[in-house]
Amino acid sequence: MTKTILRRTDLTLLAATAGIIIMSLVIIGSATHINTPGDERYWFVARQGLFAAVNIAVAAFLMNFDYKMLQGYGNKLYIFNLIMLVAVMLVGQSALGAQRWISIGPISIQPSEFSKIIMIVSLATMLEDRVGKLNNLHELLPVAAYVGLPFLLVLKQPDLGTSLVFMAIFLGMVFVSGINLRLLGGLFAAGVAMLPLLWHFLKDYQKMRIMVFMDPNVDPLGSGYHIIQSKIAIGSGMLFGKGLFEGTQSQLDFLPENHTDFIFAVVGEELGFIGVVCLLLLYLVVLWRGAQIAKDASDMFGRLLAVGITSMLAFHVLVNVGMTLGIMPVTGIPLPLMSYGVSSLTTNIMAIAILLNIQLRKKKLEF
Amino acid sequence: MVENDEFGGRLNVLGWLSVLVVAVLIGRAGYLQIYEGDYYARLAEGNRIRIIPTMAPRGTFFDRNGELLVQNRPGFAVSLMPVMTKIDPVVISRLSELLKVPVEEINKKIEAHTGFDPIRIKADVTPDIVTIIEEQKNNYPGVIIEVQPIRDYMNKEEAAHTYGYVSEINDMELEKKKDEGYKSGDIIGKFGLEKIYDKELRGENGGQQVEVDVTGKPVQIIGNKPPTPGDDLYLTIDKNLQTAAEKAVDEQLKLIHANAAAVVCMNPQTGEILAMVSRPAFDPNLFAHGISSKDWNKLNNNPYHPMDNKAITGEYPPGSTFKIITGTAALTEGVVTPSELIMDSGHHWIIPKGNAEGEALGLINFQQAMAHSDNVYFYEMGNRLGIDRLEKYARMFGLGKITGIDLPYESDGLVANRRYKEKNFEDGDWYLSETFDAAIGQGFNLVTPLQAAMVMGEIAADGKRYKPHLVNRIVGPDGKTVREFKPELLGTLDVPAEDIQLVQTGLHEVTKYGTAASIFRGFPIEIAGKTGTAENPHGRDHGWFVAYGPFANPDIVVAVIVEQGGFGSQSAVPIGRKILEAWFGLNKPQPAQPADGQKKQ
Repeated sequence: MTKTILRRTDLTLLAATAGIIIMSLVIIGSATHINTPGDERYWFVARQGLFAAVNIAVAAFLMNFDYKMLQGYGNKLYIFNLIMLVAVMLVGQSALGAQRWISIGPISIQPSEFSKIIMIVSLATMLEDRVGKLNNLHELLPVAAYVGLPFLLVLKQPDLGTSLVFMAIFLGMVFVSGINLRLLGGLFAAGVAMLPLLWHFLKDYQKMRIMVFMDPNVDPLGSGYHIIQSKIAIGSGMLFGKGLFEGTQSQLDFLPENHTDFIFAVVGEELGFIGVVCLLLLYLVVLWRGAQIAKDASDMFGRLLAVGITSMLAFHVLVNVGMTLGIMPVTGIPLPLMSYGVSSLTTNIMAIAILLNIQLRKKKLEF
Repeated sequence: MVENDEFGGRLNVLGWLSVLVVAVLIGRAGYLQIYEGDYYARLAEGNRIRIIPTMAPRGTFFDRNGELLVQNRPGFAVSLMPVMTKIDPVVISRLSELLKVPVEEINKKIEAHTGFDPIRIKADVTPDIVTIIEEQKNNYPGVIIEVQPIRDYMNKEEAAHTYGYVSEINDMELEKKKDEGYKSGDIIGKFGLEKIYDKELRGENGGQQVEVDVTGKPVQIIGNKPPTPGDDLYLTIDKNLQTAAEKAVDEQLKLIHANAAAVVCMNPQTGEILAMVSRPAFDPNLFAHGISSKDWNKLNNNPYHPMDNKAITGEYPPGSTFKIITGTAALTEGVVTPSELIMDSGHHWIIPKGNAEGEALGLINFQQAMAHSDNVYFYEMGNRLGIDRLEKYARMFGLGKITGIDLPYESDGLVANRRYKEKNFEDGDWYLSETFDAAIGQGFNLVTPLQAAMVMGEIAADGKRYKPHLVNRIVGPDGKTVREFKPELLGTLDVPAEDIQLVQTGLHEVTKYGTAASIFRGFPIEIAGKTGTAENPHGRDHGWFVAYGPFANPDIVVAVIVEQGGFGSQSAVPIGRKILEAWFGLNKPQPAQPADGQKKQ
């Protein structure tokens, strides 16, 4: 059986994923000064590496199970998700002005990361029966409400980034579910019209982030600092980069959060344009394969899962990398499989595992 | 495969959307890294490179025998590295506590600072503060210790006016000297030799190019340019004579309850200044790292102006020391012969002006008149010469203009003349009584103690006038002499040698049986001298004494003035004697001499 699984696995997707994870460990090492003596120089890399290994092992084991089993858990997971998000609001710990963390023993988890994949599974469950039936507002409303509830809970944390990821997942999945394009257009127009209203609900720091996105020099030492330093780091990397461990912006801590949200800037600074292109092409392979797997999926549930995952990953890459390049506002969305963070890493490895699982079962297994 | 795949085509949109996303990101990265790469590379350098200037040790001063007079001691300054973000307020409050500098003051300095060089918070801190900062580096990120040589005037107030002082450059000086490479925060000579020779003394600052992290903490040194020390000055000053002169002045001021005085000692054959004193004085060390307002007010409010170098800036009526000029003029112009006897009946026969205490010396010749400083005789000389010829000779001796000594703020004095009267007085006519006054050094005449020494020096050097100077040679840090100052002949008196000899003899007799005889009784070296008492409309008269020795081949001329000291013979002469004793190495204690009734002027 294991041999069969290996033979039928999407090796392209697997290799691209492995490539990104390896690159991630190297760059996290650089960003956390693994090359300078210190008591905890290996801490970040060891932790990320350990969780990557555990997750890969778990994912490999889960290959034995059919992804279709998830269908039965869709609604239960949805309820679990709501409970978890409410729990964050009640007992969560603040970081950077937002309640996002829950401590369980020695591990702080970020429920909003897991809620993304849960969202995909439960929405896929719900949408499977409605494919081709999303022709008017009346039919769309239950779906919108289904997504809207956790969306609002996440927005309330406040975690604008994750709530936007929900939007991306929602849009990707209803699009593939055959939503009436005119309805989609109307939805879009309504969304744009609502933007000024949304602005009203944003916290001050969020407004500042948007303003800084328009012009980083509004607040060069405050909110604009991240963007300016990130652009300096990437730009100064030029074609070939300054070399691994040689990025002055990153090594001298001018670049904040350089092992988490701004890890792409370290790649840009130390590995240059060449490193940037390599990494982005690896992501393109993952996304392209995601779309192909959706196409080849044996059932609508699998297709919807694959589309949700691909939408999520694509949105993450766009917003995170765009942020470090100064073309997207700062929203606190990690770069999948690259950014340091156990919750995000687990979520994304599981997402890839689901893709592989769908690919594995695109046709009836031949024994 | 999915059955009834009505919307399968929409998956292609998803795939191509992914391509579009990656393409946009690659395009943007390329724009930043390739097109604008150079620009961002420069910004990255600006982020992390700082220049820490290394101050050059200032050139030191030695006396004519190679004894160290002014040096530098190592000092430590605490500075903050400027960073892109706000400096952590915790660090600032810690620093404030350690340095006892208020937080507001530190913040003000940070705000006022531009550029990427360190922000000086406190100069010249104690070694234990340095130790604390070095040991607790993590508590003080971005705080650095700069080694900074601090000027050390080892002899405190001694010769303070000659050496001068240094201080941080001010905005006005900076504006003027920007082109000469002076920078904000530089230490610059403000007074005395420090000011005149600042260019030679300052050397060239070096610098360290360091890489800093985001907190401003230096991570490594990238480049280092060692500073070039300044050139050393080997002065003409004789340390022992200087100390003796200071001591003599202080003792005498205390004895007669006077407050201000000045002394100039010079080699008349070369123009080398051997000692120079001005009282009251100040401690130049106070300025080396910023004088406190308390000390500054104390100096400023002193009515005797301790910051003035009275030896070159103070202008006083020359009094009877001017009779040297009147006598030289009279002999040279032939209005009198050395043997002609003139009747001193206590006052002059044209205008009833006489000796201060009304004494009458009877029939006297030139030598006697000079020795006893007889006013009536010199009134008559003034009468015979006229004011124009008096002016001509005063100017021939160099009065009325600066000597050109290498010190700042020298005064030019004043020679009594008709044009001055015309210009400055409503009644511009010149009167004979004014000629009389001029002939004995009163009236409009004003000289500095240095000029008084110069006049005496010209007689001592047989009519030769050398430019007074304080530096013998300037020596570079490599030990090579950069510049040597040779005696510079400024002029020679247009006076026959025998007339100068007559004046010399007259001055010699001053110390033999004249106005300075009692104090110079038993002095083993032959000395020529001249006392003077300058009338002071604001208080007691100023006492003068000028002298040179040894008489036959003089190597020192001394000029002493004691402000409001009364008769020169009593106030200034004792100082002159002590100085000459020190110069000639006569180190025996001087017996107190009763001053018997001296004739004044």
